[in-house]
Amino acid sequence: MNNEYAISVNNVGKTYRSRDGADNTVLSGLDFHVRPGQFVSIVGQSGSGKTTLLKTISGLQDPTEGEILVKGRPIREGLEDIAMVFQSPVLLPWRNNLDNVLLPLEFRGTRTEEATRYARELLEMVGLGDRATRYSYELSGGMQQRVAICRALVTHPELLLMDEPFGALDAMTRDSMNIEIQRIWRNTGCSVLFVTHSIPEAVWLADRVVVVGDRPGRIVADVEIDLPRPRGKEHRFSPAFSEHATEVESYIGVTAGIS
Amino acid sequence: MVASPDVTQKDRGRPAVAAGPAAERPVRRRGPRRDSVTAAVKAVVGVLGLFAVWELVVALADPPEYLLVGPISAFVELAERPGYFAENTFITLQEALAGFALGTALGVLCGAALHYSTTIRSFLYPALIAIDTIPKVALAPLFIVWFGFGFESKAFVAMAIAFFPLVINTYDGLGSVPHELQELARINKASAWKRMAKIEFIYAIPSILSGAKISISLAVGGAVVGEFIAGSKGLGYVIMLANSQVDLPSMFAAFIVLAAIALALFFLVDLAGRKLVPWKQHTR
Repeated sequence: MNNEYAISVNNVGKTYRSRDGADNTVLSGLDFHVRPGQFVSIVGQSGSGKTTLLKTISGLQDPTEGEILVKGRPIREGLEDIAMVFQSPVLLPWRNNLDNVLLPLEFRGTRTEEATRYARELLEMVGLGDRATRYSYELSGGMQQRVAICRALVTHPELLLMDEPFGALDAMTRDSMNIEIQRIWRNTGCSVLFVTHSIPEAVWLADRVVVVGDRPGRIVADVEIDLPRPRGKEHRFSPAFSEHATEVESYIGVTAGIS
Repeated sequence: MVASPDVTQKDRGRPAVAAGPAAERPVRRRGPRRDSVTAAVKAVVGVLGLFAVWELVVALADPPEYLLVGPISAFVELAERPGYFAENTFITLQEALAGFALGTALGVLCGAALHYSTTIRSFLYPALIAIDTIPKVALAPLFIVWFGFGFESKAFVAMAIAFFPLVINTYDGLGSVPHELQELARINKASAWKRMAKIEFIYAIPSILSGAKISISLAVGGAVVGEFIAGSKGLGYVIMLANSQVDLPSMFAAFIVLAAIALALFFLVDLAGRKLVPWKQHTR
């Protein structure tokens, strides 16, 4: 097995058996690898099994076929160096932002003074250093999602799984979060698997865009995005960007049966 | 909980930790204290208005005193025998509170057992629903056979009534934890105990308190029904005695006291809720 990948998805399939005995294949023959520190976007239409893929990689669900290796080791639930950001920030309303960020460490029983300092640094990094003792209801949706990102990073993950993290945000907030996540990614150096159904977002952020087709979810294309970094707003309107976006879009059109 | 258009389907029915463009600006607080003072004044005016209409109807229709009396007669009755009413109120209150406390403890325990054990759920849930269909007051004679004519039988009737809303609400509340949080806990290998203490039970508190608000009024009713059947003390006994003597002022006085203590207990539970769940007021 190859150890040089942060994550290896080897011929992974996932089939649910429904109550009437019919098989529902959600993922089939997925095969891709992520190098350490790489930012990979996964795009596909709703229902193409993107979320199932992330849950399988995080160890929350087992694949019915194939295997997933993290740094060459088979994954299992509660792998220490994986963290997840969900579409909804789901912060605990009775905890202030700092305590929300520290929640994963409390789960693990490793909340220390040093960890608290790191959590404060993370909040500082996302521009919420002065809101550490505030509560989520005092924050906007974008700020809440930033806290949720800090909560994911507080465990020093090597792999960050993001499941449409900015899907519930308005377009302008989403753009600024896209710029911010690039900065966070550069600072932490972790690998990112970023699920989205926005093609511009996928292209703007990623080193590679993996296009997942639906019914069953399978890889339709794996597009290298060689735009220079750091990518600011100006890149979204560059010809090179449009070219990549158009290419990605063409694969999604094919899978949806639109010619 | 308002389902605004920018909240996705997935987000509905969970305590809205607001996401989305509508929440982009930090929420501005409306002076909550002024609001509650205004509400209290309105409530008092409403109750006084009700008394006024009642008194007016009695004055105009002038019914015989064995059919209907006005609130003034009832309050005069209260003022003339304060010791009698206080003593009996205290007894009913004790029975109701004991039943409520016991019903709450058992209800929360039972609701938690239903949530955490599929075995218990599959065996116990149908049985509980079946028992719940029995009007609990119908059990009162049985409790008197079991626990005698004293304090205990009334407390157990109150408990039987107070129990079910708490079972259901605890069970629902524990089930309302967003699946993302459960996944977050699993990814970080949280022990079952930590999940309960740090997330699940705190999430369930608002729901448990709603159950408690229903139960506290029901518990007072349960105690009174117990006293109807076999009581020599308490407001239920006061009502039965007044009934046999066609003493309507005394009967209405007891009604007013019952309403007052049920209301007071309800607000106490509500107040406890505000202290325990301060975040709930902001996330509506």
